[in-house]
Amino acid sequence: MKPRSGTIGRGEIAARLLAAIPGNYLLTSLATACLARLLWQGLGVDPANASVAATLTSFLLFAVLALVAFGVRSAGRLWLWLAGSGLLLGAGLWISLMAGARL
Amino acid sequence: MRDTLRQSMALFHTWSGLLLGWLLFAMFATGTAAYFQDEITRWMQPEVAGDANPALAAQGAVRFLNTVAPDGQSWYITLPNSRSATTQVYWQPSASKPAPRGETSAVLDRDGNRITTRETRGGFFLYRFHFDLHYMPVLWARYLVGIAAMFMLVAIISGVITHKKIFADFFMLRFGKGQRSWLDAHNVTAVLALPFHLMITFTGLVTLASMYMPWGIAANYAAPTAFYEAVFGRAVAAEPTGKRVPLADLGPLVSAASNRWNGQRVGYISIANPNDAAARIDMTRSPEASFGARGETASFDGATGRLIGAHDANGAALATESVMIGLHTGRFAKWGLRWLYFLSGLGGTIMVGSGLVLWTVKRRARLPDPSRPHLGFRMVERLNIAAIAGLATGIAVYFLANRLLPLDMASRAEREIDSLFLAWLGIGLWGMIRPARRAWTETLAIAGACFAAVPVINALTTSRGLLPSLLAGDWTFVAFDLVMLVLAAGFAMAAVRSAKVRTKANAGQGSRTRRAAQKVTSA
Repeated sequence: MKPRSGTIGRGEIAARLLAAIPGNYLLTSLATACLARLLWQGLGVDPANASVAATLTSFLLFAVLALVAFGVRSAGRLWLWLAGSGLLLGAGLWISLMAGARL
Repeated sequence: MRDTLRQSMALFHTWSGLLLGWLLFAMFATGTAAYFQDEITRWMQPEVAGDANPALAAQGAVRFLNTVAPDGQSWYITLPNSRSATTQVYWQPSASKPAPRGETSAVLDRDGNRITTRETRGGFFLYRFHFDLHYMPVLWARYLVGIAAMFMLVAIISGVITHKKIFADFFMLRFGKGQRSWLDAHNVTAVLALPFHLMITFTGLVTLASMYMPWGIAANYAAPTAFYEAVFGRAVAAEPTGKRVPLADLGPLVSAASNRWNGQRVGYISIANPNDAAARIDMTRSPEASFGARGETASFDGATGRLIGAHDANGAALATESVMIGLHTGRFAKWGLRWLYFLSGLGGTIMVGSGLVLWTVKRRARLPDPSRPHLGFRMVERLNIAAIAGLATGIAVYFLANRLLPLDMASRAEREIDSLFLAWLGIGLWGMIRPARRAWTETLAIAGACFAAVPVINALTTSRGLLPSLLAGDWTFVAFDLVMLVLAAGFAMAAVRSAKVRTKANAGQGSRTRRAAQKVTSA
């Protein structure tokens, strides 16, 4: 490995690791739940298939997000994106669960 | 931007690969063996021979269960498939007569007699170890394995990004060039079977998806049982009535279920409230009969034998999931494809192993004093020896223990498994106390010797050695012994190579000119 031109501090690595693993899992879980709700309540897929389709997608999403967490330039912006989309998905999920109960 | 991405991917690939590589190596190695788990079990039960008929096996299982647990709450029967000859039964004893764990299962021969000599968990243990591990709670093991698999998935994708010349790497394997050769080996095994690695990792996650990512189901179902009922069609068992009615004959029911599925075998039977008026029999199609692992089910009234329902989960997502699990387990595979699975798995094992070795080879050159590496480097080096040579020796010793432990030993199956881990531990300790390079040569040689001993001990302790099996056309036994010999040769070669590398390294400067000369002549 060649020495990297821009030195990366420990704080930055920790921020990215936290984003890539626990942050990522939280966001992927929210997205998976939202997708399962959307497919069932929104698009009329039967609930079992909706849940499984969302679950299958989740692994791909997690893998891509993990790479993104190390790929993007600014750790600050990464966390801003994470928090923003997390809030959005959380709100969506909450509204969906209020609108229609689970089986 | 591109370069920082590639750099960060390389960093991620190196470190996550190292941290989880040891676990992944064990998962790959035992998972690969699991493609032949039925054949391994047959080899480990040399007293059992011949094929089994599912209907007769089911009747035999019921005869057995009626003697040990006639009033049990439920019975579970795994019927023999086309590759195996034994039936596995589990039962839940009646609430009034609890039995200790481990005394509620049995392996039966095709007539329903319990197999009591040479108790073994056979290839099934290697299969379960690849995701349940051992000596630790199954739940923890599965989370650990899931984390490793997820890292593997990310490592594969990052590996693809890291290697700019991935298609050039495809055709490149240069032997005897030190670090370059290890990198080549890592790349060739990775790229050659890249679709397999991606498939096996992703589908592996899918097999335990509801555990790792339960939120898709939780979003639509307040209780997961409602989801499973929708998918598997198993109603919650009714309360027993207390009125004794003997269970309907399973033989004709197995044939009836099989006919419903165009002659595909029944793989699995569960019976709730056996010998009660409220008995219920659920049969599931054998996973070997089709691409999709999740089989159709048929349910019968246990007292009358009347068909009360059939279930076939449908829908695109469920079908996709079922096929993904089928692809991972490969139960549908016939001989040609099964060997391809095995070879791809072997390729994956070598990929992980060479990646682990590459980590040390790459860093050794850059050590301030290569003769006295720092603690972290020494630890990785020793753990590599333990993980690679140790596990290999352990598996060989597992097979040897199957032939050498007394046939009627108490908890013999567990002792076989203990032998595997004792050998593994032994090699690990050997690697700790010996100089690292020497330890590689020695432990690889021990692994090779243990594999070579398997066919020899088999011929000495049973009547099904290589020669008699060859004469009898018993290809399962022939192939098993031959694979052992091939593995032995592979490890012996690795030992010889590592010894050569050692002498080269010791010879130092002088040999470098000789190698340069060789390079000229070979070019």
